[in-house]
Amino acid sequence: MTNRVLTGLLGLTIACVSFPGDVVGQSPVHSTIQRVQQRMVKVFGAGGIRRLHSYSTGFVVSPAGHVATVWSHVLDTEELTVVLADGRKVTAKVLNAEPQLDLAVLELQAEDLDLPSWNLEAESSDAGPGTRVLGFSNMFRVATGDEMVSVLHGVVAAKAPLATRRGAFETSYEGTAFIVDAVTNNPGAGGGVLTTRGGRLLGMIGKELRNAESNTWVNYAVPIAELKQPIQQIIAGQYKARQRDPEETEAKARFRPLEFGIVLVPDVLFRTPAFIDRVQPGSVAAGVGLRPDDLVLFVNGDLVQSCRVFKQRLGRIKSGGVLKLTVRRGDKLVPVELPVPEKPATPGDNK
Amino acid sequence: MIAAKRVSGCLILGVAMVLAPSVAFGQQAEPDLEAREEKAFKEASAVVAPSVVRIQTVGGLDRVGRVLTGTAATTGVVVSPDGFVISSAFNFVSRPSSVLVTLFDGRRFPAKIVANDRARMLTLLKIEADGLSVPKVAARKDFRVGQWAIAMGRTYESPLPSLSVGIISALDRIWGRALQTDAKISPANYGGPLVDIRGQVIGVLVPLSQRQAGRTAGVEWYDSGIGFAIPMSDILETLPRLKTGTDLLPGLMGITLKAGDVYASAAIIDRVRFNSPAEKSGLKPGDIIASVDGQPIRRLVQVRNALGNKYAGDTITVVVRRDKASVEQKIELTGKLEPYTPTFLGILPSRKKQGEPVNGVAVRGILPESPASIAMIRPGDRVVQLDKTPVADAAGLFDLISRRRVGEKVTVHVDRGGARQSLVAKLAVVPSEVPAVLESEIITAPDPKPADLPKTGRFNQKLPGHDQDFWAYVPENYNPARGFGLVVWIHPGSDTKEADIHELWKPVCDERGLILVGPRAKEIAGWNLNEAGFIEAMVKHIQEKYNIDDQRIVLHGFSDGCRFAYHLAFKYRSLFRGVVASSEPLKLRPPENRPDLRLQFFLSCGDKDNLYRQVQQTRSRLAAMKFPVTLSSVPDDGHNYPPIPVLDAIGRWIEMLDRI
Repeated sequence: MTNRVLTGLLGLTIACVSFPGDVVGQSPVHSTIQRVQQRMVKVFGAGGIRRLHSYSTGFVVSPAGHVATVWSHVLDTEELTVVLADGRKVTAKVLNAEPQLDLAVLELQAEDLDLPSWNLEAESSDAGPGTRVLGFSNMFRVATGDEMVSVLHGVVAAKAPLATRRGAFETSYEGTAFIVDAVTNNPGAGGGVLTTRGGRLLGMIGKELRNAESNTWVNYAVPIAELKQPIQQIIAGQYKARQRDPEETEAKARFRPLEFGIVLVPDVLFRTPAFIDRVQPGSVAAGVGLRPDDLVLFVNGDLVQSCRVFKQRLGRIKSGGVLKLTVRRGDKLVPVELPVPEKPATPGDNK
Repeated sequence: MIAAKRVSGCLILGVAMVLAPSVAFGQQAEPDLEAREEKAFKEASAVVAPSVVRIQTVGGLDRVGRVLTGTAATTGVVVSPDGFVISSAFNFVSRPSSVLVTLFDGRRFPAKIVANDRARMLTLLKIEADGLSVPKVAARKDFRVGQWAIAMGRTYESPLPSLSVGIISALDRIWGRALQTDAKISPANYGGPLVDIRGQVIGVLVPLSQRQAGRTAGVEWYDSGIGFAIPMSDILETLPRLKTGTDLLPGLMGITLKAGDVYASAAIIDRVRFNSPAEKSGLKPGDIIASVDGQPIRRLVQVRNALGNKYAGDTITVVVRRDKASVEQKIELTGKLEPYTPTFLGILPSRKKQGEPVNGVAVRGILPESPASIAMIRPGDRVVQLDKTPVADAAGLFDLISRRRVGEKVTVHVDRGGARQSLVAKLAVVPSEVPAVLESEIITAPDPKPADLPKTGRFNQKLPGHDQDFWAYVPENYNPARGFGLVVWIHPGSDTKEADIHELWKPVCDERGLILVGPRAKEIAGWNLNEAGFIEAMVKHIQEKYNIDDQRIVLHGFSDGCRFAYHLAFKYRSLFRGVVASSEPLKLRPPENRPDLRLQFFLSCGDKDNLYRQVQQTRSRLAAMKFPVTLSSVPDDGHNYPPIPVLDAIGRWIEMLDRI
């Protein structure tokens, strides 16, 4: 079956070549590609065992030989090599990294390089859905020696937060990303770039990522706007690793539904919906009019798809604030606000 | 599998693209054409965006078959201002307990599932809202392969819908139900619209497969460049019916066509299902279908295409050629056919020895209390004719009987010692009991032993061309002059039970003329479904080496080994004729019972086994689908391998698998 898909795709790509226009010649896109490819490098490092690939991609961010790339297991070695666009092989070391952005900056171990490089201030841009883009990477290590990295084309599918909720993705990057309709994120593609067709830098192609919510692979790039400052600071030797979001580090009290007077239905399935079984008389929940058979759908604006998730969400609310719930009662959505009692934070639960 | 496919797809795409830019992207004549196209993509999607809604579900199953169901938001399209929304049935495969719809402006509504279209895999939702924005619909006649097609979705938390840009790759796919696009279609936009460059909706995105039916079929092709959309104009046609709240089912006529090259052979009716629309309208086996609804039919495949877009309740006009005359019938299609019920005469045909002349069917035995027994047919008789049709061989007799109905009388013409006798038998259902005594033919080893006699006794072997191996037991009295039965032992997880199985089965194999093979799972912990190919190859290998009676190839499992045994039986229906499943219920959905792909079941379970009730339910479920099924309960036994008396019964059951 795979074979059949393969042949199908082959046919398809060949067909693609003949549209949208059959005019052969030097176009702005053509020169964009040539210009960008000169600034791309191939990174070779650790891996090669247990199906971990030992290669990735990088882009040159200073004429002196600084290379931005994706922070991954590939960099976890003493013997890191970078192959430049002209085929030269140079050793490199990791100057610094920002694991929260999946970013690392390498320093090439060579003098007087004067490489073609990206000017992050002048050559970056932003884009929305529908913008045509190009992806550059050494995916699957197709390019060897002085061969240029592979180019893909597509459009920005969305600019949206990667992690709509905790645990949706196994990534450290949780901010807004460019999601692309081309299959850009392949083994070795991490550290490649996404550009406009005019050659403006949009973002850095991230690691391969599976969306745990839809069980599909997602193709994305971390916006250069997020990376620009850390890259410049790392080069200047002024970089301090990011602190976690202050809200994240804040101590949280662990609440249970019962503390609001809510008794949920027995949690018997993997995804038992958060139906209210009973409301304790005289409780906070009774006070705001919650009723048995109400289905809790949103906690502070986040969808809860099961009893389990509802309990997890309650475990993370702040003491002394307001708990906003939206329940489905028959065919109506009913919002309620419950006062959250003061409660000391549970030790050991701060993350 | 998904990962591998995605990988191969990308590789090729990448390589081709490296070569392509100078050709594909060259726009010297109109330098800003690309920019204008990009603007058009954005504008087209902006026009439709207010009609694209976000769908979230709560509760439901976490897994359907082998597909993990997602919890991500999915997409739908508004189809009427008063709150009807169409979406892909895939988005509701987990059977959620609650559905929420969020409009483009952020307003959120609880939604009700109104009805499903089970042919095109769509689901209609209703929310209590008014004045919704309904998109413009592109006319089907204007669709052109190669035109721009923009796929839109609302998975992401972003005010703008997500986009993927491609072209229409083909029209009239999946029996005319869908069009194909190379835009990236995945759970991120299933249920969303496919839009043309003018901002008109071409269709609604759904996963589909031409090889499989079901709500998760086609999902493995996500993001591959092969995606499908159901034309919106077709959806609007069926919308009034969906709005009434009744599910639309694919329309069935109740015929099977004579096997042949689907692209070359004429569509000749082979069987007409009892009580089906085809039978009621008077279609008959042997009729040649000439046209359906005015479309001429010359090849098998055209029948399927003509019916692909028909629903249960639709009336079609079929013209058939019968004896040089043209007969026109109006047929109202149904959503459900009565299962095929196998019929039973009660004779055991002689197992033809090599070189024996073919002339009718010699009777090797008569099953007690069967129609044949009551009609006084005797062992040694030779059945030469059934009613008016001459009988060539056992397969021919079985085919004739299988076309008759339970309760019908047939006249069996037999040759008894040179004299012709005509006996009348009333056909019955296949009994579920195994007779207490059933003689087997006496088997003797060839004498003298030929030099090329294949291996006998117990041995281990690596399957040529595979990195997996199996063990086998071939009775010492193996004689290539007669067909042997084959029992494929599918061991349970973490225990191959080889020594026990060999010891217990050896006498049964010796008595009944059976070869026993025990394939070994790659991981001792249990079978992986992708090892099915190895089992098939192993059986074919044994068939090449030994004379195997293809009516008696049986899968046998115990405990969790049965799951794989059932999987194999349903996957390779033309290979396996029986399943012996001990101490394990059936969790897969069995296929339809078919006369041409005979399948019989023998279940056994200790009545103190925790699974006993479920095994009883399995029996009822298979019986309801009209499969011949036998259940042997072991008194006072728990979750154990069946004892010797049950094994003897299994031996007798295998002995009569070729019963007619």
